[in-house]
Amino acid sequence: MDRRTFVKTTVGASVLFGTGVKFGSLGKVFAGQSVPYDLVAVKGGEPDVMFDQAIAALGGMKTFVKKGQKVVVKPNIGWDVGPQRAANTNPKLVTRVIQHCFQAGASEVSVFDHTCDDWRRCYSSSGLEAAAKSAGAKVVPGNADSYYHDVTLSRGKIMKTARVHELILGADVFINMPVLKNHNSSKLTIAMKNLMGIVWDRGFWHANNLHQCIADFAGYRAPDLNIVDAYAVMTRNGPRGVSDSDVVTMKAQLLSTDIVAVDAAAAKLAGQSPEDIGYITLAAAQGFGRKDLGALNIKRITV
Amino acid sequence: MSLRYLKTVRVVVALAVFVPATFLFLDVSEILPLWLVKALPAVQLVPSLFHLLEVFGWGGAGCIVVMLLTLAFGRVYCSTLCPLGTYQDVISRLNRSRNSLRRFRFHRQHYLLHYGLLFLATALGIGGSLLLLNLLEPFANFGRSTHALVRPLVVLMNNGIAWILEKFQVYQVYPVPFHLPSIVAFLVPLAFIATVSVMAFRSGRLYCNTLCPAGALLGLLSRVSLLRIVFDTKACKDCGLCEKVCKAQCIDSGTMRVDFSACVGCFNCFDACPTEGLHFGRRQQHEPPPQMTDRRRRKLLRDVVGTAAIVAFLPGDTTRTAVAVATGKTRASVPATPPGSQGIAHFTSACTACHLCVGVCPTQVLSPSFMEYGLGGIFQPHMDYSLGPCNYDCTLCGQICPNGAILPLTVEQKHVVQMGRAKFVRDDCIVTVKKTDCGACSEHCPTKAVHMVPYERGLVIPEVNEDICIGCGACEHPCPVTPRKAIYVEGNAVHRTAKLPEQQKPAPKVNVDADFPF
Repeated sequence: MDRRTFVKTTVGASVLFGTGVKFGSLGKVFAGQSVPYDLVAVKGGEPDVMFDQAIAALGGMKTFVKKGQKVVVKPNIGWDVGPQRAANTNPKLVTRVIQHCFQAGASEVSVFDHTCDDWRRCYSSSGLEAAAKSAGAKVVPGNADSYYHDVTLSRGKIMKTARVHELILGADVFINMPVLKNHNSSKLTIAMKNLMGIVWDRGFWHANNLHQCIADFAGYRAPDLNIVDAYAVMTRNGPRGVSDSDVVTMKAQLLSTDIVAVDAAAAKLAGQSPEDIGYITLAAAQGFGRKDLGALNIKRITV
Repeated sequence: MSLRYLKTVRVVVALAVFVPATFLFLDVSEILPLWLVKALPAVQLVPSLFHLLEVFGWGGAGCIVVMLLTLAFGRVYCSTLCPLGTYQDVISRLNRSRNSLRRFRFHRQHYLLHYGLLFLATALGIGGSLLLLNLLEPFANFGRSTHALVRPLVVLMNNGIAWILEKFQVYQVYPVPFHLPSIVAFLVPLAFIATVSVMAFRSGRLYCNTLCPAGALLGLLSRVSLLRIVFDTKACKDCGLCEKVCKAQCIDSGTMRVDFSACVGCFNCFDACPTEGLHFGRRQQHEPPPQMTDRRRRKLLRDVVGTAAIVAFLPGDTTRTAVAVATGKTRASVPATPPGSQGIAHFTSACTACHLCVGVCPTQVLSPSFMEYGLGGIFQPHMDYSLGPCNYDCTLCGQICPNGAILPLTVEQKHVVQMGRAKFVRDDCIVTVKKTDCGACSEHCPTKAVHMVPYERGLVIPEVNEDICIGCGACEHPCPVTPRKAIYVEGNAVHRTAKLPEQQKPAPKVNVDADFPF
């Protein structure tokens, strides 16, 4: 690069910097949709078939996605391992969800995660880059500080600020798509824990009471829809897993607009009590959702 | 037959090698195909020679081909395959002073200095220190200079473009981590490239005939090469043009002699000669080696001995720990070497520090060392876990190392290579200090060598099973404890074989047909 190009680039960049960016949906805390069920639980089929039936029970994807809206789908793409290890969200399910979004009229669907392993390898090994692109979604990196912008967590107890990916800040609809997994320190990683992949500084969470930080961040912006993939479930050695033998077939899926409820139900699926998972109890106490499954209006579907 | 076309051939081949060879060190987004990343360094003389000596594999074929070529046609390598050679030609052409392309005249070559340095570099190398060789070797210097001086600019430019495109929601160009080289990793290549540039600007291929060990080695071979550039005393009109265009300053048109040991095979002379007064031929008569005056000889001897003395008294391993500890970056007293490098001894005796591996490493864990191996191993890469972990399934560095300093491993082999072992500092752990859950180390551990065990109040704390630890640093890198991590990798001076994680019984099946538990 010669000096002239360098100057041009720098000046151009600073001009753009001055203009800044406008983000929609900032600080949106509650999902606005009225849905017939608090939770839809489905089991016994392939991931895409289960989703078709579950989303139909909620009135179809058009309940969540309106014509022309920008959608962000956030699966777990944290690890550089193949789909059989169930460390990342099921690619078949992600493809299906994106297809539903476009059918509902989405103008754009983007997919990203702030990965743990090298992001290029995660995107490719997980099969999720291919799955998202095959459905017409835009695959966006989440690997650089520059994509993340400061937000305030007014309801956080320990975590008062965070840096959140600009896709989330600019999205009309945010669909959270975790995979249910065992986790070495938080016990289970489900929907709330999956939100660690939309922030930049995860070290802060680990260093300052992990459970409380997970709960605090759940109060930032409720995803418009949480889809928990429990088709294949890593029941030990999570969240990365050591071998294929860590995975069992469960053939289940949960849908809810309530991130606490969906985590509580998923915990039960994994054979644990929601009360034993620190962040579920904390988030419920902070009013970010309901963990008392008995009081919820649940639709149960067997495929 | 006119041999003018040879210059054109040389220019085309040189550029065809130079452009991708430069991009090898600037490929921030993994664009180049792997075969090219492997092929270009494989024909570099010194790296390939190391490969031949270290592993006796196909990677060693490159140097044999180069040496055979030299035995046949002289040092054509220097003007085609060597990217630093082409770089010098570019710089030399920038000289726009009067008659810039015809500014050379014959000089007696600096044999004592040139061969003296080769001898010294070889002797020190056999003695275990590649310092002198690494400071002089052309491919390593080309790589290091490009990596340290140009790559940061490319990264900045890439990130600037990514940043602008991002404003328009275009994410095809993505930012890559920007690391400023350490001051030493910046200044030494800068000093080197500045020296070579000045030499090239003023005197063409002076570096190749004074400092370059590859040039010296090939110069010895080209002394006995089959074909050489010779004068056709009948056709030559004694115009002296060949001498004026000779970048190696090895043509003495007055006496119609060519010092072919210094000729870099650029073929400018064929191109410039109006009468085909030069051609490729067999040796004409015995050419006595040029004589040196006693004064020059004594001066050169002083230079060589002086250099030797400096190198011989360089501080060794003892400085390493002190420096590493003083910089406070890591607690480790032994640096970890890359997977496939077998350990410090093998690695440091075969690595010429070209930094090709540093450039391709996807997590940037491979980083140029400063004092980690002592001054003798300066710039040879080590695993710097503060920059990233070693990706469990990645074997790139071993696949592309042209020297055989990092030997290729299959993914299965790599999974049991133990570069080091994780050491847990319980007193500094978040769980101990703050009494809250963390587990970042164990979360990232690919073998669960770092696993969580019950602590107090329902909390869990890390524990290390060193037998299955491979020293990848997946634990050290994300540890949130500052300034020094509560878990770190202590390098294995000699790599060991880790056990595979114990085969666990398949996780208990779930009854898919059972009712929902809620």
